[in-house]
Amino acid sequence: MTDKIVEKVAVQTEESRNQGRRAFLKGSAAVAGGVMFTKAASAAEGAGFDPKKAVAPYAGKEEITEVLQDGAARKSLGFGVRKYPYGMPSPFEKEVQRRTLEWLTPDSMASITMTPLQSLHGIITPNGLHFERFHGGVPTINPEEHRLVIHGLVERPLIFTMDDLKRFPSVSRIHFVECPANGAMEWKGVQLNSVQWTHGMMSCVEYTGVRLSDLLKEAGIKPEGKWLIPEGADAAALTRSIPMEIAMDDCFVAYAQNGEALRREQGYPIRLVVPGCEANMWIKYLRRIQVTDTPAQHREETSKYTELMPDGTAQRFSWYMEPNSVITYPSPDFKMEGPGKYYIRGLAWSGRGKVKHVDVSFDGGKNWKEAHFTSPVLDKAWTRFEVEWEWDGSEAFLMSRVTDETGYVQPPMPQMRQLEGTNNVYHRTAMVTWRVHAWENGKSGGMIENVQY
Amino acid sequence: MFSTKKTLVAATVASLFAGSAMAMSGGSDNSGAAGEKIDGKYAANFEQIIKDANGEYLDSKVIEAILGKDAAYGREGLAGKLDPANPYSFEVDDSIDGGNHGNAQCKVPLAFTEVHDSVKANYTNDSDFVARGFGTPIAESAVQAKWNITVDGDGRGLPDPSVGMTVEEGAKVYVQYCGMCHGEFGEGAKGYLPLAVEESLIASSFDEPAPMKTVGNYWPYAVTFFDYIRRTMPFWTPNAPYIGDAGYLGITGYIMQSNYIPLDAEGTELEDDTFYTSELLMKNNKFMKNQGNFFCDHRPVIHNARCMENCADEQVGDGKGNIHNYKQARLLPDGTPQYNVPQRMHEDPPGVGHAGM
Ligand code: HEC
Repeated sequence: MTDKIVEKVAVQTEESRNQGRRAFLKGSAAVAGGVMFTKAASAAEGAGFDPKKAVAPYAGKEEITEVLQDGAARKSLGFGVRKYPYGMPSPFEKEVQRRTLEWLTPDSMASITMTPLQSLHGIITPNGLHFERFHGGVPTINPEEHRLVIHGLVERPLIFTMDDLKRFPSVSRIHFVECPANGAMEWKGVQLNSVQWTHGMMSCVEYTGVRLSDLLKEAGIKPEGKWLIPEGADAAALTRSIPMEIAMDDCFVAYAQNGEALRREQGYPIRLVVPGCEANMWIKYLRRIQVTDTPAQHREETSKYTELMPDGTAQRFSWYMEPNSVITYPSPDFKMEGPGKYYIRGLAWSGRGKVKHVDVSFDGGKNWKEAHFTSPVLDKAWTRFEVEWEWDGSEAFLMSRVTDETGYVQPPMPQMRQLEGTNNVYHRTAMVTWRVHAWENGKSGGMIENVQY
Repeated sequence: MFSTKKTLVAATVASLFAGSAMAMSGGSDNSGAAGEKIDGKYAANFEQIIKDANGEYLDSKVIEAILGKDAAYGREGLAGKLDPANPYSFEVDDSIDGGNHGNAQCKVPLAFTEVHDSVKANYTNDSDFVARGFGTPIAESAVQAKWNITVDGDGRGLPDPSVGMTVEEGAKVYVQYCGMCHGEFGEGAKGYLPLAVEESLIASSFDEPAPMKTVGNYWPYAVTFFDYIRRTMPFWTPNAPYIGDAGYLGITGYIMQSNYIPLDAEGTELEDDTFYTSELLMKNNKFMKNQGNFFCDHRPVIHNARCMENCADEQVGDGKGNIHNYKQARLLPDGTPQYNVPQRMHEDPPGVGHAGM
């Protein structure tokens, strides 16, 4: 299963396509004759690059004749090295920011910001744009003083300095991290017109750290130890109960994010990484892991992060984030530029493994076209998809639908609502719909609107 | 008041059974497995079925082959997952109505085979592992007292039963340190969460505001309420020594009283002069109103086939095939228009959230 998917990306990324072609040419040269690429063969196909045909779509477009002038950047020197010992984005990118909605929470210490997904490319979120979620503000912890303790149902309770942790074999992996409340504002209908608000409570970065299984085995975890209660060193002292299966599967204790130390907002100096699972379980400022025989039933897994169903019952321990996807371009932050060709782009991810297919519909789910991947396809990571669309200018309803390697197919919203009602806060992972208004010779302004079925 | 897990399970046992019977006679792809069934319901060779399907354990056909057609979908599918024997269930045997709370455990379903394979490789079968010795041993006692203030769902970690305060004194502490944010009577203030609101957890329609979930109508444990407030409140100065264990217990007593949580099956209520201790807290813990209404994750219950063209009406638009029947954004709760319309229309300069490609 895995190999097939990798192969698929290999075929589809631009770079590897060239590599493949080069390899093929080399190979065919070795074969006597190399029939495919002889002049005769291409002539017979009537193919070959035709420059006139290539530029045909520009016919009739008005040509610019005014002589181009040098800009200011050509006339004077730019700034020298170490002007910014820690580099900053261009001031022209100043609108690309994490944002929050003031009415969501009564104060900023127990609040959330969203990542500007509409402005991101590829699959990596820059550290400064990683979404934030705090329950007690951001502490500034001195790593020299910080310790991690593993105790409880273990043979040998242990305490680690940050340097101790870095001596262990390391692992670097790219994973998405998603607040289970991502999309929460859309249970009762749509509220906001930006993918930053509908899906921005998530990010995807490369983490480096120590396998949790290595640390637990180091302390000699006892057979009756079935649960972990990790705890943060911040004001919230956040706790969640994590079953041993998940801990031993692929969790790790991370000290780095995108090649540098974790940011304070993401748990400096160390955080738990629980790939594919609710971000609330990824305890930041990790200072203690207690091994126990039962879950703790703490506030973050009873009062919060449980899902109220229409009959009044509630689901708890909803660990895995369901496969999900969203079109980031075009999306409500953009406007259509008139009928013509568009490359629909977006993100797909699954808490249970790799993304396998992404399909895009332009007619509200009646017909679908398979997208291809323009990024590597990694386990429990964002995957970037793209598909060509020839827009004729009429009203369209854009949706994306992910299928992951477990065979799960992302459902439409009416189906999810039917089963789960709308009183739940978490795990709203059904498809969203962008309504592209009919062009009408530009009268619509190219409006793209978040609507919900 | 609620349909509890028990009634949910009971109501669907019949339909589950009908479902698997149908799957057997209907001759699904793996009908050869019909002979061996867990509890007469689920294919016992589910691991092999998943392996044969390339590990696609959530593929609709694989699920049908293991659970039977009817039991795989909708409300039946959901209720079917409350049965711990179901290979797709997150439930653990003792969590279904096992006393007041059971141990309320959940597990990674057996059908999630790749997780279990990975656990074997990383842990259970790793007989060669020997510690690297990079850590430093620490006495369990050194972790207790200050660092480990956890109280769990069974009440382990509670203060000594001699420590406490009357409910009336607890109310005073609460009003002094908590009331400004959560309201004098726990009704909430300034947007902060209420701690005592009596409200049904069932909304009459999908469009109604979602029910408020607070200590009385939602929290399943009283003991971990105490854990939480001692751990994190008052918000600005958590785990405050000037409140102390006695004060946190007093506050707990006051909030339990405000939510009418009884001490026994007869409904004995906390009086103002009741001296509230961890012993009474353990009693309240047994009578939290919403306990027994929590069950483990049931997802996914939706198993769609991947349709590419002319999809069925249920999958299209409003779920009835109409793609023009949709909801649009309304005003924000504070009355201002929905986010950045003028920018998106390019009537105003690019601003909040608008950043081009
Ligand atoms: C400055 C305002 C403030 C004060 C004072 C305060 N709290 Fe809180 N309380 C909060 C905030 C903010 C949250 C939500 C924290 C989060 O999001 O994690 C909260 C959450 C809670 C919750 C969880 C509610 C739920 O349903 O999950 C409880 C219980 C609580 N507080 C009790 C108390 C008690 C008891 C005190 C006094 C000892 C207190 N609070 C003092 C602001 C306050």
